[in-house]
Amino acid sequence: MAQHVVTMLPGEGTGPEICEAVRSVIDASGVDIKWEYEEIGLGCLEQYGTLLPDKTIKNIAKNKVALKGPTTTPIGTGHKSANVTLRKVFDLFANVRPAKLIPVLKRPWDKIDIINFRENTEDSYAAIEHMVSDEVAQCLKVITWPGSYRIADFAFQWARANGRKKVYCVHKANIMKMTDGLFLEAFREAAKKYPEIEIGDVIVDNCCMQLVRNPAQFDCLVLPNLYGDILTDLCAGLVGGLGFAPGANIGDNCSIFEAVHGSAPKYAGMKKVNPSAVLVSGIMMLRWLKETAAADRIEKAMFAVLDERKHVTYDVGGTATTDEYAQAIVDKMHAGK
Amino acid sequence: MATTFSEVAKSTRKKKEIRLVGVDMYIITENGIPSFQDGEFGPFKCEFISNRGTKVWPGFVSPDLMMVNWYRCRFMATQDVQDSNVDAFLATLSKKGWWWSAAQKLWTHDGEAAYSKAY
Repeated sequence: MAQHVVTMLPGEGTGPEICEAVRSVIDASGVDIKWEYEEIGLGCLEQYGTLLPDKTIKNIAKNKVALKGPTTTPIGTGHKSANVTLRKVFDLFANVRPAKLIPVLKRPWDKIDIINFRENTEDSYAAIEHMVSDEVAQCLKVITWPGSYRIADFAFQWARANGRKKVYCVHKANIMKMTDGLFLEAFREAAKKYPEIEIGDVIVDNCCMQLVRNPAQFDCLVLPNLYGDILTDLCAGLVGGLGFAPGANIGDNCSIFEAVHGSAPKYAGMKKVNPSAVLVSGIMMLRWLKETAAADRIEKAMFAVLDERKHVTYDVGGTATTDEYAQAIVDKMHAGK
Repeated sequence: MATTFSEVAKSTRKKKEIRLVGVDMYIITENGIPSFQDGEFGPFKCEFISNRGTKVWPGFVSPDLMMVNWYRCRFMATQDVQDSNVDAFLATLSKKGWWWSAAQKLWTHDGEAAYSKAY
């Protein structure tokens, strides 16, 4: 019997080909995983009438861990985002988005190592929107004490477990005194349990400016959902874009690891896209499963392949296909044994 | 003739045909997910209840879901209704002991729902 059973959600567009490449790398790392494939996304609509079929929900509920490829979210109208639905259904309250420089990807900065902890279930994402007259739309921003406290508590625990020194709260409590004020108050309350960690707070607009000017000053950031959505992409941009940005959605009993980029449907089937974002999400998943050695092996091999630049995809200046890049990482792991 | 940006903007407003179709009630309770009987509120029937934006009734609710004491209960009209029906509905709700923080009427605009669904 496999040591881990993981739900694989290939997603749509380029998702399936990316996930196959990533699976080949993870399987080659020596970790013992049984993968159970389930469907998600627009492709499910015709057969199930929903983007997120019940059988997918049940499988994730059983396995409690999933690796997910990209899906497409309709804009403006149509069905609810499958991503947001997953986070809601399993109450995956902590969106953990590391932003760390990959050595070979030269950037203007010499050091960025930020962990973003985005509250993943509340804020303007509570899906409470109304046309309150025929010319006025309103969206309720829902911030709760327990929702705010637990993301702060989670971030502090993560910081303590991983030797991080500073945790800052990002907010706009000078303007949104009730909602962001509550978020900040809960953050300060949670911080009392972690006296060894330096705390602070920064207003979101200033935080954006500081991130662009001097990102090295930040360590861990705790953010409400909307600011977190925006700032995590900003941080991803600082370290090379969404192509290398991992994401973890973690709840009390279930975790889903996913790339945060889109499904790039125009490249579907061409096997030319960079699978690194799903791969580094997979590395996060392996560390979450305590498979640290396998995670380290993959990461080291991936960095080596990127450093050589012989088998990299077009977005980082190469001509390799998705599969060739993945195979190069596998070969590098085998050579390193 | 519109001359300022504000006047131009106002002049582009699209008039919609508005029809009352329901009410979102925001109910505060420490007793878990509210429960309502069909017919107890006349022409309004509870369609779903959400907590922090996640649907908690009817259907699957993850045992992991953390809830707070504030529920959005969507009541849809089962027949044509007027504002006076909403007044009577609110009075009945209060009389039955439900404590609520706000009510939001639900309309269609040109036949399209002018409100979101819960996740």
